[in-house]
Amino acid sequence: MKIVGVAACTVGIAHTYIAQEKLENAGKKAGYEITVETQGTIGTENELTQEQIAEADIVIIAADVKIAGRERFEGKRIIEVPTDVAVKSPNKLIAKAAEVIVQPR
Amino acid sequence: MSKLKKLNLKGHLLTAISYLIPVVCGAGFLIALGMAMGGTNQTDLVQGEFNIWDALATMGAAGLGLLPVVISTGISYSIAGKPGIAPGFIIGLTANAIGAGFIGGILGGYLAGYLALAILRYLKIPKWAKGLMPTLIIPFLTSIIGGLIMVYIIGIPIASLTSLLTNALNSLGSSSLLVFGGIIGVLSGVDFGGPINKTVFAFVLTMQAEGVNGPITALQLVNTATPIGFGLAYFVAKLFGKSIYTKVETETLKSAVPMGIINIVEGVIPIVMNDIVRCVVATAIGGAAGGAVSMVLGADATVPFGGVLMLPTMSQPWTGAVAILVNVVVTAVALAVIKKNVAAEEADVETDLEEDDIDLADIKIT
Repeated sequence: MKIVGVAACTVGIAHTYIAQEKLENAGKKAGYEITVETQGTIGTENELTQEQIAEADIVIIAADVKIAGRERFEGKRIIEVPTDVAVKSPNKLIAKAAEVIVQPR
Repeated sequence: MSKLKKLNLKGHLLTAISYLIPVVCGAGFLIALGMAMGGTNQTDLVQGEFNIWDALATMGAAGLGLLPVVISTGISYSIAGKPGIAPGFIIGLTANAIGAGFIGGILGGYLAGYLALAILRYLKIPKWAKGLMPTLIIPFLTSIIGGLIMVYIIGIPIASLTSLLTNALNSLGSSSLLVFGGIIGVLSGVDFGGPINKTVFAFVLTMQAEGVNGPITALQLVNTATPIGFGLAYFVAKLFGKSIYTKVETETLKSAVPMGIINIVEGVIPIVMNDIVRCVVATAIGGAAGGAVSMVLGADATVPFGGVLMLPTMSQPWTGAVAILVNVVVTAVALAVIKKNVAAEEADVETDLEEDDIDLADIKIT
């Protein structure tokens, strides 16, 4: 399974990056390919490529604020949560993503 | 209720605040530096009649004066996207002009955003006029409707409400200050930068935009002191012959404490997660003490962020330093007392398997 994600919090200097790290670690631990883009106050880092988005089975958006470039995920399965869900329960969130993928829309 | 949730009012406010913080920090440090060096805020910088410190103070004041506009534009953009920017800007300036201040800016932002969105959705126009939609129709219609509502309907009541609130806050006696500061301290500490903290932050930021600096200073000093307190607790516990952190947690502290010094409280979250109740209790006790001291002594940073960097912007930096110190010591002692001793072998076990259950209400799947 391939996952792409976006993390963005209010102040954009802490939660954003903690969420990214937790999600990536949890994803890798579960044996998935995962890349998480961060949209902090500094701007977008670790930007997702078009291929990564095209190949992804699911998109995880962990954000407290409006994210930039949402239209890139048009037509994809998207899970949206506040950043603290990704910070507090990354493994469960990844498990939830795996569940969502097999569910019919 | 679910409909209200779908509107995501808070999310739009948080988005706007994320744009606001760099403006407040930049302008806040400018005005603090300028005024500390004897500069004054001037309405016009007349050639030859000002020095560099006057210039800095004036720049900072200009930036801070724009806060209602920034919040309004940010909210409107969050709701309606790019078409929301122009009306958000105009209605924010209108809120400023009528004296409705920051609260007016917030309401104006929602007004501008939803009006723009409604026009975008419901106003049907012929194909040849499509180009007029973003350039003329939305900015003009939204601004004239929203702006007039601001001027003739909501502006005046908000302006009087705002001055009522600021007057009330400015005239609080020291026992009320103690209670108020304590409450801010507890609320900002208990969820370590989470949703409660951010809600309180939005509230105290509103007060700062109205020129009341105490509450936000109390909040941020607590955020600053909490991780440092966690660090100090390590040593205090050692004095009692206790070791309260696992090896992994001690490693976490090495980055959490420096992060705390510059106002990032989130670094301690991994430690808190392992022992939520005790950590939250200790944080709340320390936060109440720190917040109360900060308010009673009148620590008044002009910038809403920066940890110890906020100290020089206060009219009396020692007040903030004392508040941090009290908070750090109380949190540390509380942690050292109530946290359990970690047995040596247990100290090596990584305990990241326990996680909160995900609240389904928090999750949106499309």
